[in-house]
Amino acid sequence: MGTKDKYAIVGVGYTPQGSVRGRTTLSFHLEACANAIEDAGLTGKDIDGLICYRHFPAATGEPDVTPYLVAQYLGLDPAHLSQDAN
Amino acid sequence: MLDAGLCNYVLVSYGHNGRSSDSFLRMMADMGGDDQVFGHFGAASCYALAARRAMHTFRTGPETWKHIAVGQRKWANLNPRAMFQRQPMSLDDYYNSRMTVEPFRLFDNCLISDGGRAYIVTSAERARDLRHPPVLIMGTGQHNPASDLQTADFMTGSTGAKKAAERAFAVAGIGLGDIDACEIYDCFTYTVEITLQDYGFFGPGEGEEWFKGGTIEPGGRMPVNTSGGLLSEAYFMGLTPLTEAVMQLMGRCGERQLGPQTNTRTPQIILCSDNGGILQTHACHILRRA
Amino acid sequence: MSYDKPLPVKNPDTAAFWEGCRQHELRFEQCGQCGYIRWPPAMLCPRCHSRQAERIVSGGRGTVFTYVVYRETPHPAFRGDLPYVVALVELEEGPRLLTNIVGCLPEQVRCDMPVVVAWEDVAEEVSLPKFRPAF
Repeated sequence: MGTKDKYAIVGVGYTPQGSVRGRTTLSFHLEACANAIEDAGLTGKDIDGLICYRHFPAATGEPDVTPYLVAQYLGLDPAHLSQDAN
Repeated sequence: MLDAGLCNYVLVSYGHNGRSSDSFLRMMADMGGDDQVFGHFGAASCYALAARRAMHTFRTGPETWKHIAVGQRKWANLNPRAMFQRQPMSLDDYYNSRMTVEPFRLFDNCLISDGGRAYIVTSAERARDLRHPPVLIMGTGQHNPASDLQTADFMTGSTGAKKAAERAFAVAGIGLGDIDACEIYDCFTYTVEITLQDYGFFGPGEGEEWFKGGTIEPGGRMPVNTSGGLLSEAYFMGLTPLTEAVMQLMGRCGERQLGPQTNTRTPQIILCSDNGGILQTHACHILRRA
Repeated sequence: MSYDKPLPVKNPDTAAFWEGCRQHELRFEQCGQCGYIRWPPAMLCPRCHSRQAERIVSGGRGTVFTYVVYRETPHPAFRGDLPYVVALVELEEGPRLLTNIVGCLPEQVRCDMPVVVAWEDVAEEVSLPKFRPAF
Protein backbone atom coordinates (compact mmCIF):
# COMPACT_ATOMS: atom_id res chain seq x y z
CA MET A 1 0.00 0.00 0.00
CA GLY A 2 1.10 3.55 0.45
CA THR A 3 0.96 4.22 -3.28
CA LYS A 4 -1.74 6.88 -3.07
CA ASP A 5 -1.08 9.68 -5.55
CA LYS A 6 2.50 8.52 -6.12
CA TYR A 7 1.99 7.68 -9.78
CA ALA A 8 0.27 9.40 -12.65
CA ILE A 9 -0.96 8.75 -16.15
CA VAL A 10 0.51 11.34 -18.46
CA GLY A 11 -0.33 10.44 -22.03
CA VAL A 12 -2.84 8.54 -24.15
CA GLY A 13 -2.36 7.16 -27.65
CA TYR A 14 -5.22 6.59 -30.08
CA THR A 15 -5.31 5.07 -33.56
CA PRO A 16 -7.89 4.96 -36.32
CA GLN A 17 -10.53 2.61 -34.99
CA GLY A 18 -13.66 0.73 -35.92
CA SER A 19 -13.40 -1.04 -39.26
CA VAL A 20 -9.85 -0.39 -40.44
CA ARG A 21 -8.94 -2.87 -43.13
CA GLY A 22 -5.50 -3.93 -44.24
CA ARG A 23 -3.70 -3.48 -40.93
CA THR A 24 -1.89 -5.93 -38.68
CA THR A 25 -2.45 -6.15 -34.94
CA LEU A 26 1.21 -5.16 -34.47
CA SER A 27 0.66 -1.97 -36.47
CA PHE A 28 -2.10 -0.87 -34.08
CA HIS A 29 0.16 -1.46 -31.08
CA LEU A 30 2.94 0.56 -32.67
CA GLU A 31 0.74 3.47 -33.67
CA ALA A 32 -0.99 3.63 -30.27
CA CYS A 33 2.36 3.51 -28.46
CA ALA A 34 4.04 6.13 -30.64
CA ASN A 35 1.03 8.42 -30.19
CA ALA A 36 1.03 7.93 -26.41
CA ILE A 37 4.74 8.77 -26.23
CA GLU A 38 4.21 11.90 -28.29
CA ASP A 39 1.09 12.85 -26.33
CA ALA A 40 3.07 12.76 -23.08
CA GLY A 41 5.83 14.87 -24.58
CA LEU A 42 8.35 12.06 -24.25
CA THR A 43 10.58 10.16 -26.67
CA GLY A 44 11.16 6.45 -27.11
CA LYS A 45 14.38 6.77 -25.13
CA ASP A 46 12.42 7.69 -22.02
CA ILE A 47 10.36 4.49 -22.03
CA ASP A 48 11.93 1.84 -19.84
CA GLY A 49 8.92 -0.37 -19.11
CA LEU A 50 6.40 -1.97 -21.47
CA ILE A 51 3.24 -3.89 -20.63
CA CYS A 52 1.22 -5.43 -23.42
CA TYR A 53 -2.38 -6.13 -22.57
CA ARG A 54 -3.86 -9.61 -22.69
CA HIS A 55 -4.65 -10.47 -26.27
CA PHE A 56 -6.36 -12.65 -28.83
CA PRO A 57 -4.80 -15.20 -31.18
CA ALA A 58 -2.89 -13.74 -34.11
CA ALA A 59 -4.62 -13.61 -37.47
CA THR A 60 -3.38 -15.89 -40.25
CA GLY A 61 0.08 -14.88 -41.36
CA GLU A 62 0.68 -12.49 -38.45
CA PRO A 63 3.09 -12.88 -35.55
CA ASP A 64 1.91 -13.35 -31.99
CA VAL A 65 2.29 -9.87 -30.49
CA THR A 66 4.59 -10.28 -27.53
CA PRO A 67 5.98 -7.36 -25.53
CA TYR A 68 9.45 -7.94 -26.95
CA LEU A 69 8.07 -7.78 -30.47
CA VAL A 70 6.45 -4.41 -29.75
CA ALA A 71 9.64 -3.21 -28.05
CA GLN A 72 11.72 -4.28 -31.03
CA TYR A 73 9.58 -2.43 -33.54
CA LEU A 74 9.41 0.69 -31.38
CA GLY A 75 13.18 0.66 -30.96
CA LEU A 76 12.83 0.37 -27.21
CA ASP A 77 15.31 -1.24 -24.87
CA PRO A 78 13.18 -1.56 -21.74
CA ALA A 79 14.34 -2.57 -18.29
CA HIS A 80 11.08 -4.43 -17.80
CA LEU A 81 8.62 -6.19 -20.11
CA SER A 82 5.44 -8.06 -19.27
CA GLN A 83 2.14 -9.27 -20.57
CA ASP A 84 -0.78 -8.39 -18.35
CA ALA A 85 -3.33 -11.00 -17.43
CA ASN A 86 -5.80 -8.34 -16.49
CA MET B 1 7.64 -1.89 -11.87
CA LEU B 2 7.59 1.77 -10.93
CA ASP B 3 7.25 1.18 -7.21
CA ALA B 4 10.14 -1.27 -7.17
CA GLY B 5 12.28 1.37 -8.86
CA LEU B 6 12.70 -0.77 -11.96
CA CYS B 7 11.30 1.82 -14.32
CA ASN B 8 10.58 5.51 -14.76
CA TYR B 9 8.11 5.53 -17.63
CA VAL B 10 5.94 2.52 -18.29
CA LEU B 11 4.05 2.20 -21.56
CA VAL B 12 0.90 0.06 -21.62
CA SER B 13 -0.31 -1.09 -25.02
CA TYR B 14 -3.19 -2.86 -26.70
CA GLY B 15 -3.91 -3.46 -30.37
CA HIS B 16 -6.02 -5.79 -32.46
CA ASN B 17 -7.35 -6.18 -35.98
CA GLY B 18 -10.24 -8.22 -34.63
CA ARG B 19 -12.90 -6.80 -36.90
CA SER B 20 -11.18 -7.18 -40.24
CA SER B 21 -9.03 -10.29 -39.69
CA ASP B 22 -9.71 -13.94 -38.95
CA SER B 23 -8.32 -13.63 -35.41
CA PHE B 24 -11.68 -14.20 -33.69
CA LEU B 25 -12.51 -17.16 -35.90
CA ARG B 26 -9.20 -18.68 -34.89
CA MET B 27 -9.99 -18.01 -31.26
CA MET B 28 -13.41 -19.65 -31.59
CA ALA B 29 -11.78 -22.67 -33.16
CA ASP B 30 -9.10 -22.90 -30.48
CA MET B 31 -10.99 -22.07 -27.34
CA GLY B 32 -13.64 -23.87 -25.48
CA GLY B 33 -12.05 -27.26 -25.84
CA ASP B 34 -14.72 -29.79 -25.12
CA ASP B 35 -17.38 -27.09 -24.69
CA GLN B 36 -17.62 -27.05 -28.48
CA VAL B 37 -18.95 -30.57 -28.36
CA PHE B 38 -22.15 -29.10 -26.91
CA GLY B 39 -22.27 -26.19 -29.34
CA HIS B 40 -20.91 -23.74 -26.78
CA PHE B 41 -18.63 -21.04 -28.13
CA GLY B 42 -17.15 -17.81 -26.92
CA ALA B 43 -17.22 -15.41 -24.02
CA ALA B 44 -20.67 -14.01 -24.75
CA SER B 45 -22.31 -17.34 -24.03
CA CYS B 46 -20.33 -17.75 -20.84
CA TYR B 47 -21.34 -14.30 -19.56
CA ALA B 48 -24.89 -15.13 -20.62
CA LEU B 49 -24.76 -18.21 -18.38
CA ALA B 50 -23.67 -16.01 -15.49
CA ALA B 51 -26.35 -13.44 -16.32
CA ARG B 52 -29.08 -16.08 -16.41
CA ARG B 53 -28.13 -17.35 -12.99
CA ALA B 54 -28.18 -13.76 -11.75
CA MET B 55 -31.71 -13.40 -13.16
CA HIS B 56 -32.68 -16.42 -11.12
CA THR B 57 -31.01 -15.13 -7.97
CA PHE B 58 -32.08 -11.49 -7.97
CA ARG B 59 -34.16 -9.09 -10.01
CA THR B 60 -32.28 -8.34 -13.21
CA GLY B 61 -32.51 -8.89 -16.95
CA PRO B 62 -33.28 -6.88 -20.09
CA GLU B 63 -35.36 -4.38 -18.07
CA THR B 64 -32.16 -3.39 -16.29
CA TRP B 65 -29.68 -3.86 -19.14
CA LYS B 66 -31.63 -1.69 -21.60
CA HIS B 67 -30.76 1.39 -19.54
CA ILE B 68 -27.07 0.54 -19.78
CA ALA B 69 -27.10 -0.05 -23.54
CA VAL B 70 -29.14 3.08 -24.26
CA GLY B 71 -27.28 5.28 -21.76
CA GLN B 72 -23.88 4.41 -23.15
CA ARG B 73 -25.10 4.92 -26.70
CA LYS B 74 -26.02 8.49 -25.81
CA TRP B 75 -22.42 9.10 -24.82
CA ALA B 76 -21.18 7.45 -28.02
CA ASN B 77 -23.36 9.81 -30.02
CA LEU B 78 -21.18 12.64 -28.64
CA ASN B 79 -17.89 10.90 -29.44
CA PRO B 80 -16.45 11.32 -32.95
CA ARG B 81 -14.25 8.24 -32.47
CA ALA B 82 -17.16 5.99 -31.53
CA MET B 83 -18.20 3.28 -33.97
CA PHE B 84 -21.83 4.08 -33.12
CA GLN B 85 -21.49 7.87 -33.12
CA ARG B 86 -24.13 8.36 -35.80
CA GLN B 87 -26.59 5.72 -34.64
CA PRO B 88 -28.88 6.62 -31.76
CA MET B 89 -30.55 3.82 -29.83
CA SER B 90 -33.99 3.93 -28.24
CA LEU B 91 -35.35 1.48 -25.69
CA ASP B 92 -37.38 -0.03 -28.53
CA ASP B 93 -34.25 -0.40 -30.65
CA TYR B 94 -32.70 -2.33 -27.79
CA TYR B 95 -35.67 -4.70 -27.53
CA ASN B 96 -35.84 -5.08 -31.29
CA SER B 97 -32.21 -6.08 -31.66
CA ARG B 98 -31.99 -9.78 -32.40
CA MET B 99 -31.52 -12.41 -29.73
CA THR B 100 -28.01 -13.83 -29.93
CA VAL B 101 -27.56 -16.14 -26.97
CA GLU B 102 -30.51 -15.69 -24.63
CA PRO B 103 -30.78 -13.87 -22.32
CA PHE B 104 -28.54 -11.55 -24.41
CA ARG B 105 -29.60 -9.51 -27.38
CA LEU B 106 -27.22 -8.06 -29.93
CA PHE B 107 -27.09 -4.74 -28.04
CA ASP B 108 -26.04 -6.45 -24.82
CA ASN B 109 -22.81 -7.38 -26.61
CA CYS B 110 -19.70 -5.26 -27.01
CA LEU B 111 -18.24 -4.32 -30.36
CA ILE B 112 -15.45 -6.06 -32.19
CA SER B 113 -12.99 -3.44 -33.34
CA ASP B 114 -9.83 -2.77 -35.25
CA GLY B 115 -7.47 -0.34 -33.59
CA GLY B 116 -5.20 0.21 -30.64
CA ARG B 117 -4.85 2.20 -27.47
CA ALA B 118 -1.93 2.99 -25.18
CA TYR B 119 -1.07 5.07 -22.13
CA ILE B 120 1.98 6.01 -20.10
CA VAL B 121 2.48 5.87 -16.35
CA THR B 122 5.23 7.62 -14.41
CA SER B 123 5.87 9.05 -10.97
CA ALA B 124 3.86 12.03 -9.78
CA GLU B 125 7.08 14.10 -9.65
CA ARG B 126 8.09 13.33 -13.22
CA ALA B 127 4.51 13.90 -14.33
CA ARG B 128 4.62 17.56 -13.28
CA ASP B 129 6.96 18.60 -16.07
CA LEU B 130 5.06 16.95 -18.90
CA ARG B 131 2.63 18.30 -21.46
CA HIS B 132 -0.75 17.53 -19.92
CA PRO B 133 -2.13 17.92 -16.41
CA PRO B 134 -1.26 14.56 -14.84
CA VAL B 135 -3.97 12.17 -13.71
CA LEU B 136 -3.01 10.70 -10.35
CA ILE B 137 -3.62 7.09 -9.40
CA MET B 138 -5.29 7.40 -5.99
CA GLY B 139 -5.74 3.71 -5.46
CA THR B 140 -5.73 0.44 -7.29
CA GLY B 141 -6.83 -3.05 -6.29
CA GLN B 142 -7.14 -6.45 -7.88
CA HIS B 143 -8.93 -9.61 -7.03
CA ASN B 144 -8.75 -12.69 -9.18
CA PRO B 145 -11.15 -15.48 -8.24
CA ALA B 146 -9.68 -17.42 -11.20
CA SER B 147 -12.21 -20.27 -11.23
CA ASP B 148 -14.19 -20.82 -14.40
CA LEU B 149 -17.96 -21.15 -14.62
CA GLN B 150 -17.98 -24.79 -13.64
CA THR B 151 -16.42 -24.14 -10.26
CA ALA B 152 -16.91 -20.41 -9.69
CA ASP B 153 -18.78 -19.23 -6.63
CA PHE B 154 -19.35 -15.73 -8.01
CA MET B 155 -22.71 -16.74 -9.40
CA THR B 156 -23.93 -17.27 -5.88
CA GLY B 157 -21.99 -14.39 -4.33
CA SER B 158 -19.92 -11.43 -5.45
CA THR B 159 -17.39 -11.27 -8.28
CA GLY B 160 -13.77 -10.18 -7.88
CA ALA B 161 -15.02 -6.59 -8.17
CA LYS B 162 -15.96 -6.44 -4.51
CA LYS B 163 -12.57 -7.18 -2.98
CA ALA B 164 -10.70 -5.32 -5.71
CA ALA B 165 -12.71 -2.18 -4.96
CA GLU B 166 -12.29 -2.58 -1.20
CA ARG B 167 -8.52 -2.63 -1.73
CA ALA B 168 -8.55 0.34 -4.12
CA PHE B 169 -10.75 2.45 -1.84
CA ALA B 170 -8.61 1.57 1.18
CA VAL B 171 -5.50 2.85 -0.61
CA ALA B 172 -7.27 5.97 -1.85
CA GLY B 173 -8.81 6.69 1.55
CA ILE B 174 -12.13 7.75 0.03
CA GLY B 175 -15.64 6.34 -0.35
CA LEU B 176 -18.20 5.79 -3.09
CA GLY B 177 -19.70 9.21 -2.35
CA ASP B 178 -16.50 10.85 -3.62
CA ILE B 179 -16.82 9.32 -7.10
CA ASP B 180 -17.92 11.68 -9.88
CA ALA B 181 -18.14 9.20 -12.75
CA CYS B 182 -17.33 5.58 -13.63
CA GLU B 183 -15.58 3.98 -16.59
CA ILE B 184 -16.47 0.31 -16.29
CA TYR B 185 -15.28 -2.64 -18.37
CA ASP B 186 -18.44 -3.45 -20.30
CA CYS B 187 -17.94 -6.54 -22.43
CA PHE B 188 -21.69 -7.03 -21.89
CA THR B 189 -24.39 -4.86 -20.35
CA TYR B 190 -24.67 -7.30 -17.46
CA THR B 191 -20.97 -6.80 -16.66
CA VAL B 192 -21.65 -3.13 -15.93
CA GLU B 193 -24.53 -4.00 -13.63
CA ILE B 194 -22.69 -6.68 -11.67
CA THR B 195 -19.56 -4.54 -11.34
CA LEU B 196 -21.42 -1.47 -10.03
CA GLN B 197 -23.45 -3.75 -7.76
CA ASP B 198 -20.34 -5.38 -6.33
CA TYR B 199 -18.77 -1.94 -5.92
CA GLY B 200 -21.74 -1.10 -3.70
CA PHE B 201 -23.67 1.48 -5.74
CA PHE B 202 -26.83 -0.58 -5.23
CA GLY B 203 -27.89 -3.90 -3.77
CA PRO B 204 -28.69 -7.09 -5.69
CA GLY B 205 -31.90 -6.55 -7.60
CA GLU B 206 -31.88 -2.78 -7.22
CA GLY B 207 -30.09 -2.15 -10.50
CA GLU B 208 -33.13 -1.38 -12.60
CA GLU B 209 -34.24 1.27 -10.14
CA TRP B 210 -30.73 2.73 -9.97
CA PHE B 211 -30.17 2.89 -13.74
CA LYS B 212 -33.59 4.10 -14.84
CA GLY B 213 -34.28 7.75 -15.49
CA GLY B 214 -30.94 8.41 -17.19
CA THR B 215 -28.62 7.95 -14.20
CA ILE B 216 -25.60 7.09 -16.36
CA GLU B 217 -26.40 9.29 -19.37
CA PRO B 218 -25.36 12.85 -20.24
CA GLY B 219 -27.05 14.96 -17.57
CA GLY B 220 -27.23 12.00 -15.18
CA ARG B 221 -26.12 11.89 -11.58
CA MET B 222 -23.50 9.14 -12.13
CA PRO B 223 -22.14 9.16 -15.69
CA VAL B 224 -20.88 5.74 -16.78
CA ASN B 225 -18.78 4.89 -19.83
CA THR B 226 -18.69 8.37 -21.27
CA SER B 227 -16.97 7.40 -24.52
CA GLY B 228 -19.74 4.91 -25.31
CA GLY B 229 -17.57 2.16 -23.85
CA LEU B 230 -16.93 -1.25 -25.31
CA LEU B 231 -20.63 -1.48 -26.17
CA SER B 232 -20.78 1.63 -28.35
CA GLU B 233 -17.32 3.18 -28.78
CA ALA B 234 -14.80 0.41 -29.53
CA TYR B 235 -13.30 -2.66 -27.91
CA PHE B 236 -9.81 -2.16 -26.53
CA MET B 237 -10.23 -4.28 -23.42
CA GLY B 238 -9.60 -2.37 -20.19
CA LEU B 239 -7.95 0.46 -22.07
CA THR B 240 -11.25 1.79 -23.45
CA PRO B 241 -12.51 2.65 -19.94
CA LEU B 242 -9.16 3.62 -18.43
CA THR B 243 -8.05 6.00 -21.18
CA GLU B 244 -11.48 7.63 -21.21
CA ALA B 245 -11.16 8.35 -17.49
CA VAL B 246 -7.74 9.90 -18.11
CA MET B 247 -8.99 12.08 -20.96
CA GLN B 248 -12.02 13.21 -18.93
CA LEU B 249 -9.82 14.18 -15.98
CA MET B 250 -7.44 16.01 -18.32
CA GLY B 251 -10.46 17.86 -19.72
CA ARG B 252 -9.79 16.75 -23.30
CA CYS B 253 -13.12 15.13 -24.23
CA GLY B 254 -14.69 17.73 -26.50
CA GLU B 255 -18.43 17.48 -26.85
CA ARG B 256 -18.76 14.65 -24.34
CA GLN B 257 -16.63 16.37 -21.67
CA LEU B 258 -18.06 15.92 -18.21
CA GLY B 259 -18.94 19.24 -16.59
CA PRO B 260 -21.37 22.06 -17.36
CA GLN B 261 -21.62 21.28 -21.08
CA THR B 262 -23.03 17.81 -20.47
CA ASN B 263 -24.90 18.96 -17.39
CA THR B 264 -22.83 16.74 -15.12
CA ARG B 265 -20.37 17.32 -12.29
CA THR B 266 -16.91 18.45 -13.37
CA PRO B 267 -15.00 15.29 -12.49
CA GLN B 268 -12.38 15.28 -9.77
CA ILE B 269 -12.35 11.52 -9.19
CA ILE B 270 -13.27 8.70 -11.59
CA LEU B 271 -13.61 4.99 -10.78
CA CYS B 272 -12.44 2.49 -13.44
CA SER B 273 -12.63 -1.25 -13.84
CA ASP B 274 -11.36 -4.07 -15.98
CA ASN B 275 -12.05 -7.76 -15.82
CA GLY B 276 -10.71 -10.73 -17.69
CA GLY B 277 -11.70 -14.29 -18.41
CA ILE B 278 -15.30 -14.92 -17.48
CA LEU B 279 -15.31 -12.63 -14.42
CA GLN B 280 -12.14 -14.48 -13.35
CA THR B 281 -9.90 -11.45 -12.91
CA HIS B 282 -10.77 -7.94 -11.79
CA ALA B 283 -8.86 -4.69 -11.48
CA CYS B 284 -10.23 -1.49 -9.97
CA HIS B 285 -8.54 1.90 -10.31
CA ILE B 286 -9.41 5.23 -8.75
CA LEU B 287 -8.02 8.20 -10.66
CA ARG B 288 -8.09 11.89 -9.84
CA ARG B 289 -7.34 15.22 -11.35
CA ALA B 290 -4.02 16.56 -10.01
CA MET C 1 -25.06 -39.55 -42.20
CA SER C 2 -21.75 -38.82 -40.58
CA TYR C 3 -21.56 -36.73 -37.44
CA ASP C 4 -20.17 -33.33 -38.40
CA LYS C 5 -19.99 -31.60 -35.01
CA PRO C 6 -16.81 -31.31 -32.95
CA LEU C 7 -15.90 -34.38 -30.91
CA PRO C 8 -14.19 -34.37 -27.51
CA VAL C 9 -10.44 -34.09 -27.72
CA LYS C 10 -9.03 -36.27 -24.99
CA ASN C 11 -5.93 -35.25 -23.15
CA PRO C 12 -4.23 -37.12 -20.30
CA ASP C 13 -6.37 -35.25 -17.76
CA THR C 14 -9.73 -35.76 -19.47
CA ALA C 15 -9.30 -39.20 -21.06
CA ALA C 16 -10.77 -41.07 -18.09
CA PHE C 17 -13.94 -38.96 -18.15
CA TRP C 18 -14.56 -39.50 -21.85
CA GLU C 19 -13.72 -43.18 -21.57
CA GLY C 20 -16.43 -43.40 -18.89
CA CYS C 21 -18.89 -41.61 -21.16
CA ARG C 22 -18.28 -44.20 -23.83
CA GLN C 23 -19.64 -46.73 -21.31
CA HIS C 24 -22.45 -44.39 -20.25
CA GLU C 25 -20.85 -43.64 -16.91
CA LEU C 26 -20.16 -40.17 -15.49
CA ARG C 27 -16.82 -40.83 -13.82
CA PHE C 28 -15.15 -38.39 -11.49
CA GLU C 29 -12.10 -38.41 -9.29
CA GLN C 30 -12.81 -37.93 -5.61
CA CYS C 31 -9.93 -36.64 -3.52
CA GLY C 32 -8.49 -39.40 -1.39
CA GLN C 33 -7.62 -36.94 1.35
CA CYS C 34 -10.39 -34.33 1.66
CA GLY C 35 -13.19 -35.94 -0.34
CA TYR C 36 -13.64 -33.08 -2.80
CA ILE C 37 -14.83 -34.23 -6.22
CA ARG C 38 -12.45 -32.80 -8.82
CA TRP C 39 -14.02 -31.20 -11.81
CA PRO C 40 -12.59 -30.32 -14.24
CA PRO C 41 -10.29 -33.33 -13.88
CA ALA C 42 -6.71 -32.60 -12.86
CA MET C 43 -3.75 -34.33 -11.31
CA LEU C 44 -4.24 -32.83 -7.89
CA CYS C 45 -6.94 -31.53 -5.63
CA PRO C 46 -7.45 -27.74 -5.83
CA ARG C 47 -8.46 -27.69 -2.16
CA CYS C 48 -5.72 -29.75 -0.46
CA HIS C 49 -3.23 -30.54 -3.27
CA SER C 50 -3.45 -34.24 -2.55
CA ARG C 51 -2.56 -36.43 -5.54
CA GLN C 52 -4.64 -39.33 -4.26
CA ALA C 53 -8.03 -39.96 -5.78
CA GLU C 54 -10.68 -42.61 -6.05
CA ARG C 55 -13.06 -43.05 -8.93
CA ILE C 56 -16.73 -42.44 -8.30
CA VAL C 57 -19.62 -42.76 -10.72
CA SER C 58 -22.36 -40.15 -10.62
CA GLY C 59 -25.97 -41.25 -10.47
CA GLY C 60 -26.60 -38.86 -13.37
CA ARG C 61 -29.16 -36.71 -11.56
CA GLY C 62 -28.94 -33.02 -10.92
CA THR C 63 -30.48 -29.63 -11.50
CA VAL C 64 -30.05 -26.89 -14.07
CA PHE C 65 -27.75 -24.37 -12.39
CA THR C 66 -27.97 -21.96 -15.29
CA TYR C 67 -28.64 -22.10 -19.03
CA VAL C 68 -28.66 -20.08 -22.23
CA VAL C 69 -30.59 -20.45 -25.45
CA TYR C 70 -28.54 -20.19 -28.61
CA ARG C 71 -30.56 -18.25 -31.19
CA GLU C 72 -27.53 -18.11 -33.49
CA THR C 73 -24.32 -20.07 -33.58
CA PRO C 74 -20.91 -19.59 -35.16
CA HIS C 75 -20.62 -23.29 -36.06
CA PRO C 76 -22.46 -24.43 -39.22
CA ALA C 77 -23.02 -27.96 -37.88
CA PHE C 78 -25.16 -26.62 -35.03
CA ARG C 79 -27.37 -24.39 -37.19
CA GLY C 80 -29.91 -27.14 -37.73
CA ASP C 81 -30.35 -27.42 -33.95
CA LEU C 82 -31.26 -23.76 -33.37
CA PRO C 83 -32.59 -22.78 -30.97
CA TYR C 84 -30.67 -25.06 -28.61
CA VAL C 85 -29.95 -24.97 -24.90
CA VAL C 86 -26.51 -25.01 -23.31
CA ALA C 87 -26.59 -25.41 -19.55
CA LEU C 88 -24.50 -25.95 -16.51
CA VAL C 89 -26.01 -28.91 -14.70
CA GLU C 90 -25.15 -29.27 -11.05
CA LEU C 91 -24.97 -32.96 -10.27
CA GLU C 92 -26.15 -34.32 -6.94
CA GLU C 93 -22.52 -35.25 -6.27
CA GLY C 94 -21.44 -31.62 -6.71
CA PRO C 95 -19.70 -31.06 -10.05
CA ARG C 96 -21.23 -28.63 -12.53
CA LEU C 97 -21.11 -29.99 -16.08
CA LEU C 98 -21.45 -27.96 -19.24
CA THR C 99 -23.99 -29.78 -21.38
CA ASN C 100 -27.16 -29.53 -23.45
CA ILE C 101 -30.71 -29.83 -22.21
CA VAL C 102 -32.72 -32.02 -24.57
CA GLY C 103 -36.18 -33.55 -24.55
CA CYS C 104 -38.07 -30.31 -23.97
CA LEU C 105 -38.57 -26.91 -25.57
CA PRO C 106 -36.02 -24.20 -24.72
CA GLU C 107 -38.89 -22.18 -23.24
CA GLN C 108 -39.52 -24.94 -20.70
CA VAL C 109 -36.05 -24.87 -19.20
CA ARG C 110 -35.68 -23.19 -15.81
CA CYS C 111 -32.88 -22.76 -13.29
CA ASP C 112 -33.03 -25.40 -10.56
CA MET C 113 -35.14 -27.69 -12.76
CA PRO C 114 -34.40 -31.39 -11.99
CA VAL C 115 -32.71 -33.21 -14.85
CA VAL C 116 -31.29 -36.64 -15.54
CA VAL C 117 -28.54 -37.72 -17.90
CA ALA C 118 -29.59 -38.69 -21.45
CA TRP C 119 -26.75 -40.35 -23.32
CA GLU C 120 -26.27 -39.51 -26.95
CA ASP C 121 -24.12 -41.93 -28.93
CA VAL C 122 -22.71 -39.67 -31.59
CA ALA C 123 -19.89 -41.78 -33.03
CA GLU C 124 -18.62 -45.29 -32.78
CA GLU C 125 -16.67 -44.72 -29.60
CA VAL C 126 -18.09 -41.41 -28.42
CA SER C 127 -21.11 -40.78 -26.20
CA LEU C 128 -22.06 -37.37 -24.89
CA PRO C 129 -23.76 -36.77 -21.54
CA LYS C 130 -26.73 -34.55 -22.27
CA PHE C 131 -29.59 -34.02 -19.84
CA ARG C 132 -33.37 -34.11 -20.05
CA PRO C 133 -36.06 -33.02 -17.61
CA ALA C 134 -36.61 -35.53 -14.80
CA PHE C 135 -40.33 -35.99 -14.28
